[in-house]
Amino acid sequence: MTTPYPDQSPAAPILEVEDLRIAFVSRDGIVRAVDGVSWQLQPAEMLGIVGESGCGKSVSAMSVLKLLPGPPAMYSSGSIRFRGEELLTASEVRMRQLRGNAISMIFQDPMTSLNPVLTIGEQIAEVLILHQKLSKRAAWKRAGEMLDLVGIPEPNQRLRDYPHQFSGGMRQRAMISLALACNPAVLIADEPTTALDVTIQAQIMELLARLRREMGTAIVLITHDLGVVAECCDRVVVMYAGSKVEEATVDTLFARPCHPYTRGLLAAMPGLDMAADAGHRRLAEIPGMVPSLKQAAIGCRFAPRCAAAQECCHVTIPELVVVAREAPDHLAACFRACEAFRGELA
Amino acid sequence: MNHPNVTTPHTKTGSLLLDVRNLVKHYPTRTFWRDSPPVKAVDGISFSLGEGETLGLVGESGCGKSTAAKTLMRLIEPTSGEIFLAGTDIAKLSLHSFRPYRREMQIVFQDPYASLNPRMRACDIVAEPLRNFGWDSKNGSERVADLFHRVGLDPDALRKYPHEFSGGQRQRLGIARALALKPKLIVCDEPVSALDVSIQAQVINLLEDLQTDLGLSYIFVAHDLAVVRHISRRVAVMYLGRIVEIGPVEAIYTDPKHPYTRALLSAVPKIGKSQRPERILLKGDLPNPANPPSGCTFRTRCQQARSECAESSPQLTGNGDQHLVSCHFA
Repeated sequence: MTTPYPDQSPAAPILEVEDLRIAFVSRDGIVRAVDGVSWQLQPAEMLGIVGESGCGKSVSAMSVLKLLPGPPAMYSSGSIRFRGEELLTASEVRMRQLRGNAISMIFQDPMTSLNPVLTIGEQIAEVLILHQKLSKRAAWKRAGEMLDLVGIPEPNQRLRDYPHQFSGGMRQRAMISLALACNPAVLIADEPTTALDVTIQAQIMELLARLRREMGTAIVLITHDLGVVAECCDRVVVMYAGSKVEEATVDTLFARPCHPYTRGLLAAMPGLDMAADAGHRRLAEIPGMVPSLKQAAIGCRFAPRCAAAQECCHVTIPELVVVAREAPDHLAACFRACEAFRGELA
Repeated sequence: MNHPNVTTPHTKTGSLLLDVRNLVKHYPTRTFWRDSPPVKAVDGISFSLGEGETLGLVGESGCGKSTAAKTLMRLIEPTSGEIFLAGTDIAKLSLHSFRPYRREMQIVFQDPYASLNPRMRACDIVAEPLRNFGWDSKNGSERVADLFHRVGLDPDALRKYPHEFSGGQRQRLGIARALALKPKLIVCDEPVSALDVSIQAQVINLLEDLQTDLGLSYIFVAHDLAVVRHISRRVAVMYLGRIVEIGPVEAIYTDPKHPYTRALLSAVPKIGKSQRPERILLKGDLPNPANPPSGCTFRTRCQQARSECAESSPQLTGNGDQHLVSCHFA
C-alpha cells in the first residue's frame, strides 16, 4: 500500500478521542460521567462541545490532558490520540512535556486557575523557561509580548502585577496568554467566558478567533452557551448525560437540529431578535431532569424527557447515525433523526 | 385570609405599585485614617412599576443592579431617596412600622444553593415567613402544601432537606417561600442565571404563570438580555450605579438610543447570522465606582464621546414618551 499513515496526511485530525469512557467511583456506586464519546479535531479548527451541567463535556476535555485525579476517576476504555500518539497510556513525564506546551487549557474561572502569590509575569515566564528552555530574561521579554498580543495595555508594567490586581476580563486574557505562550497546537477552552459579562465575553471570543487565525491553533471550546458556539465554531458536538447525541457543522446544526434534545435546547432559549408579536410566546420546556448516571443506560438517556420517544427508545440505545445521505457529516443518536432532518417530526 | 395584627396598606395611587425616586446607596470607604470617596453603588435612580407589570433591570456585574433591588426592599438601607410602595414612602419608616410592608415585597435570590438554610426542611423553609407573620401551624401547613403544588413541587418533598433537591427545584422552593405571604411585588435577583437552559425555561414559565394567576409585579434583575426581553414589559439599563436608558421592552431592544445599550445588545452572541447588527466592541473595563469619570460615566468607553461629555453629566430625558435616555447625543 502506498497510502501514507493517517497521522502524516495533511487532513489527519490533530486530536482524536475515540469511544472514551470515564467513570467516577463514589460511595454509592459508579458514575458513568463519559459513556463512549468520540470526536476529532482538525488542525486550526474550532470545535464546540455543548451540553448542560453534568453532561460530561468538561470531564472529557480534562481527560485529554489527564488532569482528572484517578481514583476516583477511571478511564475504563477508549483512546485519546494527539498527532497519532496515544495519551491515555502515556507516562506522566510525557504528559508534563505536552501540557502547556503542545496542548494547553484555559479554565472557566481565571481567579482560581492563576496562582495568587506569583506575579502574572512569573507565571507566563515559568511555562516558557520549562518548555522552551528560554533564559529568564528572554522568557520575561516573551511574556511581555504575549500580554501585548492579548491586548493588555502597558504589558511590561502589568507583568509585575498579581492576579488580584487584574479585572476578570484581564485575568482571562492573562490566562489565554499563558496558555498560548508556547504556541500550542491544541487549545482546550473550558467555558472561557462563562464568568464574564457579555461585553467582555465578546472581547475574549474575538481574541480567540484572532489568535486562531494568526497562530493556527486548533481550539476545543466547551460551553453551555449555544449562542457562543453559533458565532465562533466550525463544528459542534452536543452532549447529553455522558454521550454524544449529535454532531454537525455549525450551520447545519442550527438550521436543522435533528436530535430532540438539541431541538429542545434551542426552543427553550429566549431569543433576542424575536418579532414584536412573538414576544410573548411561551418558552418550550424540556420536562423533567437530567438522569442519574449511576445506572447503566438501557435505552436512550433522553427518552424519559422526549416528546418524540417511542417504545424502542426505552429499551434500545440508539446508535449515532448519519441523518441523511446529503449530509454525511451530520450525526445524531436518535431513532427518529432522519424524520427530524426531513422536517417530519413535530 | 389569616393575617392577625396586620393591616394591608391601601393602594392610593391606583395601578402604580412602586415609585422609586432618586434612590442612592453610597458605601463609605476609608484608606488608613482618611475618608476616601464613597463607592457609589447606586447613584440616584428613579423608576416606577405598575401592578402586574415586570420591570427588567439589566447591566453588567458591578453596575449596581442587585444593590438597587435590595435597597428598594430595604434589605440594604438606602443612603437617601424615596421608595413609595402603594403610596407610602417606606424609606422613611422606622423598622417597626416598616415591618408590615415587608409582607408585600419578597425576594428570590440568584443562588438557590446559598439562599436556603441547609439544616431546615423544605416545609419549614417555606413556612418560616408565615410563622414570622403570625400564622398558626395548622393554617400554615395547609398553605405550605398549597404553595408546593403551586410551584410544581412534589408533596413528598415537604420533609426533604435542600441538598436533596436539584437546582431547578431549589429555585422553585425559593419562589414558594417568596409567595408564602401573598406579596404584591417580587424582586427576582438573577433567579435563573445559575440554571441550565432547559431548567431556566421551566422557571421562567412558572414565574409568568404565577404573574398571570396572582397579579404579581416583578422587578427582574438579570444580566441575560434575552431572558429579560422575554419576561419584561419595561427595561432599565444600568451603568455604574445609574440608569442610562429606560423604556418599553420593544423600544429598548429594537431602537436602543444609548451607546451603552447598543454595545450591550450587539455583544450578545446570536444564533442565525442573518440580521446581526455590527458588533460594537467596548474598550477596557468598568471604571472604579469609587472614582467614576467626570460628566457622563460611560464616556471612557464610548465611541461617540466628545469634550462636552466630560463636562456635564446627561440627564434621563425623553421626547414625551416613556423611553428615556441619558446621553447628550441620543
